[in-house]
Amino acid sequence: MVGNVSLGSVRACLEGAIPAVMATCSSDGTPNIAYLSQAFYMDERHLALSFQFLNRTRANILSNPWASLLVLHPVTAAYFRLGIRYLRTETEGALFEGMKAQLAGIASHTGMVDVFHLRGADVYEVHCIELLEGNPLPAPAPRGDLLNAVRRTSERLVRCISMEDVLNATLAALNDYLHIQHAMVLMLDSVTERLYTVASCGYATSGVGSEIAMGHGVIGVAAQQRTPVRIMHMTNAYRYSAVTRSSLQEVHPDLALQVDIPWPGLANPRSQIAVPVLSAGRMLGVLFAESPNDLQFTYEDEDVLVAIAGHLGSAMDLAQLTPEWGDSPSDGHGTPPVSGKALQVRHFKANDSVFIDGNYLIKGVAGAIFWKLVQDFTLRQRSEFTNRELRLDPGLGLPDVTDNLEARLLLLQRRLAERGPWIRIEKTGRGRFCLAVQRPLELQESP
Amino acid sequence: MDAAPPLLPPELVALIADGISAIVGSSDATLRPSIMRAVGSAITPDGATVTVYLARRQSRQLLQNLSSTGRIAVVFTQPHSHRTIQVKSGHVRLRPADASDQPVLQRYLAHMEHEIGLVGFDAAFTRQMLAYDLADLVAVSFEPSDAFDQTPGPRAGGRIGAPSQGGA
Repeated sequence: MVGNVSLGSVRACLEGAIPAVMATCSSDGTPNIAYLSQAFYMDERHLALSFQFLNRTRANILSNPWASLLVLHPVTAAYFRLGIRYLRTETEGALFEGMKAQLAGIASHTGMVDVFHLRGADVYEVHCIELLEGNPLPAPAPRGDLLNAVRRTSERLVRCISMEDVLNATLAALNDYLHIQHAMVLMLDSVTERLYTVASCGYATSGVGSEIAMGHGVIGVAAQQRTPVRIMHMTNAYRYSAVTRSSLQEVHPDLALQVDIPWPGLANPRSQIAVPVLSAGRMLGVLFAESPNDLQFTYEDEDVLVAIAGHLGSAMDLAQLTPEWGDSPSDGHGTPPVSGKALQVRHFKANDSVFIDGNYLIKGVAGAIFWKLVQDFTLRQRSEFTNRELRLDPGLGLPDVTDNLEARLLLLQRRLAERGPWIRIEKTGRGRFCLAVQRPLELQESP
Repeated sequence: MDAAPPLLPPELVALIADGISAIVGSSDATLRPSIMRAVGSAITPDGATVTVYLARRQSRQLLQNLSSTGRIAVVFTQPHSHRTIQVKSGHVRLRPADASDQPVLQRYLAHMEHEIGLVGFDAAFTRQMLAYDLADLVAVSFEPSDAFDQTPGPRAGGRIGAPSQGGA
């Protein structure tokens, strides 16, 4: 034993560049050696190893829980040997799903897709760690920029006063301080149990409003299990297809309209990471990043993104709580004249989807909000609104406490901006906005 | 021993003779396992005797277990193909390595630089991974009594050759 070695200092050895090897011993004393596809850092005292096969190792640890694990640092070639003891096997939940996603990537990378299948996550307690004698190669320069990246991101986020600020600041910080070029923030719709994209950067289309189901791909698994999911070698099993289906066509089979917003993500990502965004114990959404290169996100990037996601969650919650009364909406403040050919706005009650001149705009709560706004605009000549009145409107179906109204308004605002200049949502103050309409609206309601 | 049929088919003997990754394990009287990578290996042309080289400074517990219990397991792996074989025995012979072992060790290192290079690590890394001081090396020789195919896949764990009593 050379000094005291923390399990954290061995994490680089567990990234899969060089597989760990493990010795176990049967009850008659016969030793056995096995290569491990995956060794997963849990905390300073625990490791999880992938259980894939009913083999000799399996039989041994069930009868004699002691094992000796040998790992190699992928840069310095320093050896570490860990004395570990088998505790239990998990076959569901955050640890299992996180390992399963990662193993799928490893299997794809090593040509073992048909062979590697995670039966369970074997949890081991770490009893001792030895750094073996040797003359290791120079260690890579520590990434001292990471703590600074967290600090700078935090400094940006604490200055934000609206949801839009918070999202812009987060994506800009990822870009500026972590050189992450492709990222998204998705919010959880707690009613439909789906995640919708509310902000993105680095894609050909913003994809704002596109949806991911709980449990689907790294984002859906991260949200469902409330755990970070990181894949260093991408695999088809976790790849998102560009098109996701909607249920509207089941209600209106005759409807030939495009009702889904295409997923904006990379066509051929090689690395992905998804981190749940929580605040006060509630799932708010997911922070997601991807790259066209293998091995892009290390455990250090994961640590940084988890820390940033914590700030992001608090900042989002605070943006929702920002006082929003103050002045009552002042109408007549120069509503611009409406002219030209009428826009046809069609609303489907079945799922609150809205189409403008036959082009899909939005659905769900954001669709219901938009329908209320355009009705008030055409029937009551109103163009100034407050968040508070939306929050109190029983017709919108906003869940009481966790309504994410700011996020839904931002989604609607961005979708409108992408569809052209004729209808816009403009912030006019804290918790206040106006609907700026340049052409007459022709409203049509369908079941 | 002299009349025993060869356990390993010629192609596996050739694979091991080439010089591929070798991980060595043993266990103590209380059934605690021990493990280390060998810095060299050799096999007689008939496959009857395997020798692995261990650095004392990195393998103290393992060498102690080998000399006290005689139990040994060695996994040979060709990294890029995942081809994996495990051999076991209940009896080992230990001796200090000397100058006569140098050619074997140098040939092993040269092959390993090539093998590890195929999975993306340069020669400097492999040399460090297999670094040793000849005076610190112990040669561990044994006659495999059991051999198993451990290449990942449906045949993993299958026994190679005739089983012996008290196998793994």
